[in-house]
Amino acid sequence: MNAIAFTDVRKNYGDVLAVDGLNLTVEAGRTVALLGPNGAGKSTSINMLLGLVRPSGGRIEVFGHLPDEAVARGEVGAMLQSGELIPELTVMELVDFVRRLYPRPLDLDEILKMADLSDLVKRRASKLSGGQTQRVRFALAIAGAPRLLVLDEPTAAMDVESRQRFWASMRDYAAGGRTVLFATHYLEEADENSDRVIVVAKGRVVADGTAAQIKAGAGGYTVSFTLGGQPAAGLDALPGVSAVEVSAGAATLRTTDLDATVTALYRGTSLEIRDLKVTGADLEDAFLALTRES
Amino acid sequence: MPNYIRIEALRMLRNKRYIVFVVAFPVIFYLLFCNVLGGETAPGGIGASAYLMVSMSAYGSLAASIMSTAVPWAQERQSGWLRQLQITPLPNRTIILTKLAAALLLTLPSLLLVFLAAVLTQDVSLEPGQWIGLVPAMWIGTLPFAALGLAVGSLVPPDTAQPAAMIGMFGLAILGGLWFPVDNMPTTMQAIAHALPSFPYADIGWHLVAGETPPLQDVVTILAWTVALGAAAVLAYRRATARA
Ligand SMILES: Nc1ncnc2c1ncn2[C@@H]1O[C@H](COP(=O)(O)OP(=O)(O)O)[C@@H](O)[C@H]1O
Ligand SMILES: [Mg+2]
Repeated sequence: MNAIAFTDVRKNYGDVLAVDGLNLTVEAGRTVALLGPNGAGKSTSINMLLGLVRPSGGRIEVFGHLPDEAVARGEVGAMLQSGELIPELTVMELVDFVRRLYPRPLDLDEILKMADLSDLVKRRASKLSGGQTQRVRFALAIAGAPRLLVLDEPTAAMDVESRQRFWASMRDYAAGGRTVLFATHYLEEADENSDRVIVVAKGRVVADGTAAQIKAGAGGYTVSFTLGGQPAAGLDALPGVSAVEVSAGAATLRTTDLDATVTALYRGTSLEIRDLKVTGADLEDAFLALTRES
Repeated sequence: MPNYIRIEALRMLRNKRYIVFVVAFPVIFYLLFCNVLGGETAPGGIGASAYLMVSMSAYGSLAASIMSTAVPWAQERQSGWLRQLQITPLPNRTIILTKLAAALLLTLPSLLLVFLAAVLTQDVSLEPGQWIGLVPAMWIGTLPFAALGLAVGSLVPPDTAQPAAMIGMFGLAILGGLWFPVDNMPTTMQAIAHALPSFPYADIGWHLVAGETPPLQDVVTILAWTVALGAAAVLAYRRATARA
């Protein structure tokens, strides 16, 4: 069962094509990152997923329903990119109000604990710090026990420690077999907190897979070792290898499948491998390469 | 919906501006005016303290219904709270119906406080039948003002809604004769007062207090305003909540 399905989804604002033929599906139970630079169309896609923005074309389904229906059935909870609370109300009043709007909400205590708010229940929203406000907004997003949780750059206003606590809360929530989609332009966040990364740029999907696959897709890894006088023939036929360079007795292989290449190097050749060194194209490089190409 | 009305009422009761302008002002001015004009006879031959009871509770209810709608609603649209609600199962129409219900609820403190002050400190006494007519008339009569406030909140951002609400509130109150009786005004001003919703609203109250049946024209004028402003509020709300 797909939690999310975008089919040829487009959205233009006048001349600006914010989303340009987006196709993607997300299986229920996954935690997926939507990674892309500012202006890539992440928020527009998320707002269409939530029924807040109407697509100019294409179709979106959430658990097989149109976004509006899924929202009305209480299957979706979300933290939008920006939004304030009602300043006169306390944390508890806000959370309890929103949870009661859903047919099968979480227990109040459970929400407060998961969002790390147990010490702030009586605090008015106007007296919360930026990070605390984000935690309340997270609490509102999970209050109704939605099967799909959507987070649009949720950690933007947080310091490092709050970030870590935030992602721990998110993983707690996701652990019950729930689906999470979050947008970010931080590479490490996507890498560390999702089991799949969808890279978008200029309103299109430019890469899709695990963080490791994405790294590999954009140049992958470099494996180098001392070859000495041994023959270099056959190295380019090893699994995963896309390029071979030999100079001054040193071989450098570029590979998209590090494990297969190294295994084959040791087991599939009779070469004597010394000084083996692996360098990964880091995600930063991969990301820049991907988003530049498009 | 009770859950939502409760939240809306709670936040307004914690709002200083609401407490000052809407809850405290009418009853304080009522007592001040009574102190000055106490024994005199007001237009329509009723005692000043009974006349002023209607004037000040009318002002308070009018102010309450505009203040609890226009600015908070404009703020919610701008701050993103509306979007937060739109991604919950709460239906769109429940939002505006709740705002209306909460506005009606929030007129009660000023209304009842002025009535109470009139009875307890100014010895105003009406027949039970008069109270039974007066309280609901003064209460339900605030509908066009709540609709006006909601329309303003749907149409303009908070920094425009703020002065608009103040001007609407005091403009309607003064021009409608709630602060100074229209009988002492030039005829043009009287004609203006009769065309506004605020004068007929209070006029119904003044007649009831005098033991008379309110003129049909008052009822017709206020109904017409309720329909017109109600329609404006619904249209403006649709526009404000339309998906981009
Ligand atoms: N309401 C809008 N009106 C006009 N242009 C918009 C609107 N919302 C987004 N855009 C444009 O659409 C593009 C994608 O924006 P957005 O979805 O916010 O990207 P992201 O969330 O990835 O930063 C940007 O060029 C942005 O300027
Ligand atoms: Mg965004």
